[in-house]
Amino acid sequence: MRNSLLWPLTLALAALALAILAGAFWGTADLPWDERFKALLRLPDAQPNLQLIVWEWRLPRVIMVALVGGALALSGVIMQALLRNPLADPYLLGLSSGASAAATAAIVWLPAAFVASFGLELLAFLGAMLAFVLTLGLAFQPGRGMDKLVLILAGVAISLFFSSVSAFFIHIADPHVTRNALSFLMGSAAGARWGDLPPLAIALPLGFIATWACASMLDAVLLGDERAVALGVPLPVLRLGLLCLAALLTGLSVAGAGIVGFVGLIVPHMARLLVGAPHRRLLPLAVVLGMIVLVVVDLLCRTLLAPEELPLSVLLALFAAPPFVFILRKVRRGL
Amino acid sequence: MASDPILALEAVSLAKGNARLLDSVGFTLERGRFHALLGPNGAGKSSLMRILYRAEDGHTGTVTLDGKPLKEWPRKAYAGRVGALVQESVSLAGLTLSEVVNLGLLPLALPQSEARDRADEALALVGLVERAGEDAAHLSGGEQQRLFFAQLLALDPDIYILDEPHNHLDLHYQYVLLDAVKRRGKTVLASFHDLTLATRFCDRAFLLDHGRLAASGPLDEVLTPARLASVYRIDASYQNGTLAIKGAILDR
Repeated sequence: MRNSLLWPLTLALAALALAILAGAFWGTADLPWDERFKALLRLPDAQPNLQLIVWEWRLPRVIMVALVGGALALSGVIMQALLRNPLADPYLLGLSSGASAAATAAIVWLPAAFVASFGLELLAFLGAMLAFVLTLGLAFQPGRGMDKLVLILAGVAISLFFSSVSAFFIHIADPHVTRNALSFLMGSAAGARWGDLPPLAIALPLGFIATWACASMLDAVLLGDERAVALGVPLPVLRLGLLCLAALLTGLSVAGAGIVGFVGLIVPHMARLLVGAPHRRLLPLAVVLGMIVLVVVDLLCRTLLAPEELPLSVLLALFAAPPFVFILRKVRRGL
Repeated sequence: MASDPILALEAVSLAKGNARLLDSVGFTLERGRFHALLGPNGAGKSSLMRILYRAEDGHTGTVTLDGKPLKEWPRKAYAGRVGALVQESVSLAGLTLSEVVNLGLLPLALPQSEARDRADEALALVGLVERAGEDAAHLSGGEQQRLFFAQLLALDPDIYILDEPHNHLDLHYQYVLLDAVKRRGKTVLASFHDLTLATRFCDRAFLLDHGRLAASGPLDEVLTPARLASVYRIDASYQNGTLAIKGAILDR
């Protein structure tokens, strides 16, 4: 039954809980199970170093990737609905290349001490926001608002521009210097601390509630811009407001775990196959599925080639390509 | 006939770049009457309708609903009074037929049980009620048009704006659906290319040509041989609901 959210969401929440537990238990260190439980429950006789690993290293990291997965899935749903384009993803409006350009430029240009104190994450976030604002500025036509196609094309143009900027900096810089930037850009939540969590931990629930409140208007947009307007939807305001929200969530995700592709594109489609397109059902399931996918992929990234870590994007692309093709075929058949 | 206007247009003009799409158009819609909007391709019919369902707000001149200017109406309240059947093709993948019809009730905020009753009734009117739970992606063009008719009939606004309502519909449904609208007794403005259909349903016609109102009144008064020649570029006469082509198609 596609019109019931109860079972898919219950199962997804259970799977998320399991994935988070698995994320906290598994890692490079091989330890007996009772030790792991003791550490997780912070029992008095737990090994202090293991407790440190679980509580200060793994849990914040697992929660960070869960938040990033949820935020990217939410922005993916918003982008696909507002642009009525099944291939839209959170980075469509130039955010990822803006973030890369800012990160590479900072590493090459700015003194290392400054970058360290300011934070590469914050710089990447600012780069993403700059690219987004430029895209909006390019697409906005006074008196006519924003056309979807113009917006997408402006995003492509801004992406290409910032990609060349990053390519330029990577080309002229010392490879040792840019390695940092490159690994950050391929997506990783390694090194996430509790203190890094609040921005997304606050923005994601608030963003979810705001989008949820607009769910039926988003449904109306699926019927076409003209129909949505005829049904009384304040489309220009809705589009601008939710695009800004999606961009903010994406920018914070980039700051949290670098550029993580595919989640925002594929997960909304997975959720749609399970519960259909109405956003009251789609939004919660997509967010939870996004969290699961990224927690599991992050776990695999940490453990597959341990002690080496794979970037999130590498594994995601490997796992996401087959479902992507499957979804493309569905879309071609009109789902 | 006593005049009881519900919607009035006064000197409405619309320009895009150098193109003048509408040039000082003015007319009124009478409460409970069926009005036809006629004119060749590019005459400005859809642009005019887009202004009326608020997809276009770059116009000059005034439009008033019940004496209150359009721009002063809150969007939702206006959408509950003026409903539209628009020309825009979309993929409805992931939505069931009854979900699509329910979305038409967005301006009203009805209790769920009443919304369901209205949606079922409207789907029955367009012959799609057995398929209410199916995915709307599988509908043909004509079925999709019937579904959007159902959406509008469920809303049942005071004014129906129908942009080429016969699009994609077979003969049976062209008559059935327009009959269903007419029986509601509400005000209708519908654009037509098929003059036989227009004759059957409309009480009054407006003829647009190059963005200007060329004529208005009962159909036989509007469609004189001279106007058929100058506006539609056909050598024909229109009498008692029948169009008779007399000679060559004019090539200006």
